[in-house]
Amino acid sequence: MAGVFDRSVLLVTGKGGVGKSTVAASLARRAQADGKRVLLIEFESVSRMAPLFGLQEAPLEPVRLDKGLDLMGFDLLEALHGFAGDQLKVRALAKLALANKVVRGFFLAMPAIRSILFLYHLQRLEATHGPRGDRRWDLMICDMPTSGFVAGLFGVPAMVRMIFRVGPLAEVAESMSQLLFDPLRLGVVLVTLPEEMPVVETIELRHELRRRHGVDVAAIVVNGLYPELVDGDELAALSAVVAEPGLSSDDRHAAEQLLWAAEVMRGRAARARRVLPDLEHIAGETLVALPHLFRRKLHLDSIDALAARWRPDQRSAALRPRPPAGAVEVRP
Amino acid sequence: MSSLRLLESVDRARLLVTVGSGGVGKTTTAAALALLAARRGRKTLVLTIDPARRLLQALGLDGADCPPNTPLPVLPRLHQQLLPADGSAAYGLVAPEHTSLDAMMLDPTLGAEQMVERLLPNPALREEVLGNRIYRALLPALGASPDLVALELLAELHRRDQYELIVLDTPPTHNTAEFLQAGQTFAHFINEQVLKWFAKVPARDESRRPGFFSRGSVAAMGVLGRLFGSEVLPDIAQFFRSFRDVMPAMRARSEATDALLRSPATRFVAVTAPGETSLREARHMLALLQREGLPFAGFVVNRVLVLPQALGDEARVQAIAASLVARLERTGMEPLVASHLAARLCDGASKLRDLHLADAAHVRSLRTMLSLPSFLSIVPQLEHDIHTLPELCDLGARMVQGCDTPAANAPAPAGASRPSAAAAGAG
Repeated sequence: MAGVFDRSVLLVTGKGGVGKSTVAASLARRAQADGKRVLLIEFESVSRMAPLFGLQEAPLEPVRLDKGLDLMGFDLLEALHGFAGDQLKVRALAKLALANKVVRGFFLAMPAIRSILFLYHLQRLEATHGPRGDRRWDLMICDMPTSGFVAGLFGVPAMVRMIFRVGPLAEVAESMSQLLFDPLRLGVVLVTLPEEMPVVETIELRHELRRRHGVDVAAIVVNGLYPELVDGDELAALSAVVAEPGLSSDDRHAAEQLLWAAEVMRGRAARARRVLPDLEHIAGETLVALPHLFRRKLHLDSIDALAARWRPDQRSAALRPRPPAGAVEVRP
Repeated sequence: MSSLRLLESVDRARLLVTVGSGGVGKTTTAAALALLAARRGRKTLVLTIDPARRLLQALGLDGADCPPNTPLPVLPRLHQQLLPADGSAAYGLVAPEHTSLDAMMLDPTLGAEQMVERLLPNPALREEVLGNRIYRALLPALGASPDLVALELLAELHRRDQYELIVLDTPPTHNTAEFLQAGQTFAHFINEQVLKWFAKVPARDESRRPGFFSRGSVAAMGVLGRLFGSEVLPDIAQFFRSFRDVMPAMRARSEATDALLRSPATRFVAVTAPGETSLREARHMLALLQREGLPFAGFVVNRVLVLPQALGDEARVQAIAASLVARLERTGMEPLVASHLAARLCDGASKLRDLHLADAAHVRSLRTMLSLPSFLSIVPQLEHDIHTLPELCDLGARMVQGCDTPAANAPAPAGASRPSAAAAGAG
């Protein structure tokens, strides 16, 4: 078993609206509090983290938010410039080539270009050195787009190898593959809500990653658990006293609404209880449950409250040897 | 008032496109709108991409006998599900022969192959592309980003003109701008200029192509060679040359799709849900549609917490809870236990109130973005997933009702007693 925080890259993903950004931020704050140097990479054009530190947008290059916490936003065009600059050895030449609308349009329109450039930059950032010659970041946490994109990432090295059997891009594919398929370096964190549909899809995605790519997810996070405030017996007792005579019709109406609220809370907690066993069964100790915050807006204090839920030695999936190169299935 | 605008879109538009970020219920909204249209007498198709299992079951698209990219009739199933109670209700107010609803699930990889088949009617050329190593390597990538394939299929369905209304559920894509520009983006990838770069690359069995190189193509070849490696250039060149003859047809299709999206008979419905990020994305979406000149119909806001009135007033909740404590004590419950229970009851109500205040502020913000004649439909949070067609019918009815929900239109019930909290939530 290796801890979630022992890797150098965590890809945080899940369906839309399950709280990926919140979970990614909580992981980053936890690692930061434990003395790690952390880089949070945001994928969406609208940054969640930047406003909490007084910035408008996520910066294109890593920028320090706090001691031990840097932030950057992944930008496709910026990444393309960086990649072309590296390959052509001369950044000015890359700039000149990409200044041409047709050339730029061609590269940005290449299928899977976003995945290719993201992986390229990820392995480059991982290898970045700090002033003392050691690695600049202990942990890079990526707030990823929806799970389909992340599942697709694992097929990218095989695709690139299939097109470019030799040459510079074949070498890039090799180092991407080494990063992606090394469970000591990279882990996938799946986030879900405690509801039937997202849970089923999470279980399927976990299965798909394992079957098609030989990748075990590092942790499954079930986010937004409702507290169990009032149980069924208590609700029954309450209903009985509300039904007794003596209440004005206004008060009875209000009391019924109060019980309605308790019923809603209980129903949502019960809904979570029904789906949790399935997740526990497949995820075991790697399952992490985070409470509902009852806020629609992200605040640093609520992120830190969630961060406190992560244990520094958070268990993670059993490690398996990496699959042989080219083990990725490509449909004809 | 604004429900008229929603119904006008459902009754008159030729194409409804649901847009929005992931997880807001976009696919379900598209299916409910399509069902609503069919029950109002329009021959409708709903085209969905990567829907949730439950919704597939509801639409009857989950069986092994349901091939992807094939329209399947839905209303007969609804008819069966409503029997024996009231089977005729499946067709709404319309005679069965005057309406229909087909549902189609897009398989992007299969769709990509079908797209190549449509584009390349010449069998020899088609075999060449389908057998091309690069095409085969790119196919999973096309499947992973179905934007282009979806738009292409939409254009094809529109061209066949079998439906009065097509409802398109946009793919869970990186963002809507990218989806809408997928046709143009593809034209950047395969076009005459790009072909020119590769035209002079010698094929594997040739030594060198004779002829002049323009300065531009020499520069491009130099860059491409250094980026891709000169060894693979001949294969890549071959891939692009396969598309040489169909270039004008491809451009014509891409232009037709673009014109369809901008047509006055098209309506975009933005789907959103409460939450800070969703609100910002909704704002981006509206700006994008306006900038691109795309016809916007209105917002559907899913998963809004609508609170009964009394719970908005905290003092009243406390007073009611106190009276319940007294009553519980009279049944013999320990006073400490009773007051603890009441405290938890109040805690639950207050948590829901926090969500409600945030949601009400969210709806008010959306409303300020709108100008008439757009609709704003508020759909309350459902306590279960949608499993069946009757539930989907019900959702459509809620969308129509939701346009006039007072809870959404009026200030939050708690606004009077806690104005500062409501205002703070508005950010």
